[in-house]
Amino acid sequence: MITVTFLEASGNRIEAHANAGDTLMQAAVGAGVEGIAAECGGAGACGTCHCVLPQDWFDRMPAPNSDETDMLDFVIDPQPTSRLSCQVSIGENMDGMEVQVPDTQI
Amino acid sequence: MPQISQPAMEFDPHGSAFAADPYPSYAAMRALQTPFYYEEIDTWMLTRMSDVEAVALNKTMLRNNEAFIGEKERQRQKRAINFHDMPYHERFVQVNLLESEGETHSRLRKVVFREFTPAMISKQRDAIQSFVDRLLNELSDQDEVDFVGEFAAHVPGHIIGRMLGVPDEDCPLLRHWSEEVVRYFDPGRGDADKQRAEQATKEFYEYLLALLDTREKAPQDDLLSRLVSHRDEGRLSQDELISTAMLILMAGHGSTIDVLGSGMHALLKFPDQHDRLRADGSLMKTAVQEMFRFESPLPFFHRFATEDCEVGGMRFPAGTRFGLLYGAANRDPDRFEQPDTFDVARAPNRHMAFGGGGHFCLGNHLARLDMDVIFSTLNARFATIELAEAAPEYKRGLSVRGPEALRVHWQRR
Repeated sequence: MITVTFLEASGNRIEAHANAGDTLMQAAVGAGVEGIAAECGGAGACGTCHCVLPQDWFDRMPAPNSDETDMLDFVIDPQPTSRLSCQVSIGENMDGMEVQVPDTQI
Repeated sequence: MPQISQPAMEFDPHGSAFAADPYPSYAAMRALQTPFYYEEIDTWMLTRMSDVEAVALNKTMLRNNEAFIGEKERQRQKRAINFHDMPYHERFVQVNLLESEGETHSRLRKVVFREFTPAMISKQRDAIQSFVDRLLNELSDQDEVDFVGEFAAHVPGHIIGRMLGVPDEDCPLLRHWSEEVVRYFDPGRGDADKQRAEQATKEFYEYLLALLDTREKAPQDDLLSRLVSHRDEGRLSQDELISTAMLILMAGHGSTIDVLGSGMHALLKFPDQHDRLRADGSLMKTAVQEMFRFESPLPFFHRFATEDCEVGGMRFPAGTRFGLLYGAANRDPDRFEQPDTFDVARAPNRHMAFGGGGHFCLGNHLARLDMDVIFSTLNARFATIELAEAAPEYKRGLSVRGPEALRVHWQRR
């Protein structure tokens, strides 16, 4: 099991336990992180599972593809290390990562 | 085709009993061990959230089967369901963003997505509010109105028309064309409907051409002008521009009217929930979300399998058509506690009324904003709203859900 912590805008810290290969969005929804709406279910088609990664973790991952960066242009308050959590596959090396969840997705 | 061994089950989505309450039929299908084969449309019906979600998200399941059946078979199928010999309808309505896949879908979707982001849609709030106020000023003094026909039916088309760049006085025309064009998708359609759908598509096309001409000469800050720029920059063709403009209008029109009607009806059927919402306006967001779950206005979509697959515990060959019964999945007790209870504060509420996967509804923010403004305004303006008829009649058929009319008594504050 890999543990990822989601930091909600309210200050809540939610620990999610995931298997390698799950997406970050699945981990968040499974752990009841309310700030991840993920309305399209994980197709990168709605832009409602936006999260912000720490720089060092962001740098270690494969870069987002052009479909994802196009969507990230339209999320609320995008950051340089923003990702759509449905497009991030969790790897063994992500144990202990902390992810910031924005105040609102829409 | 897999062996069909299912218990005999009455399933008649055309009748009045289904229109009055489709949920017992959905529950009966959900209780079967495997998906239900609905012979009339050669489709395997999925009613469990887990199955519906899996198929909607599966990239090998497509809206159209053109890629793997070939042009000849596609033409044969179109003739079989009488979807042919209507050149304008075939060119602009039967082919569009919603019906496309792959590169075309992704290219067109990107063009439209940017117009329907929360930031873009929130700019419409004042326009919606002022139009709703204007309509209610005309209706507030009547004690009894048809909430659907006299009120709800006017709002979505007007707002989308404005977004496109259609002059206010022409918005009623758009509504007429939109209703005529989609008439052909009704299960009970006949040749007369076919002719009307074709005629409306032609008129709509000619109207859009003339309007496009004005935007080419003098671009405005509207969607049509921006579509023209996208076309000129090579992101979409002229035909795609027209079909996209038509789809934008039609996709959010009837369905938003339907959910406005069924949402109002739900509040009136569950007065405790109505009181709760009136007492606490901060529940509006969850209330709107619940209205979409409780009576999903577009309860049935389909996908074709392009590969052999396993769905709902059964094996299926490529070419199988699946019915995604969003209206049923949204009442699945495995996903929702007490799914038949209308709860304006329900959270989480991960329903699929806007579909899922790559075809997730682009207009969802606009529909929600229409609902938010309307129900907030009704709460502020009216002291009481009550049903004027015991059992409003709902539209018949599998593909739509909403009251034909909803007579209410209302009293201003």
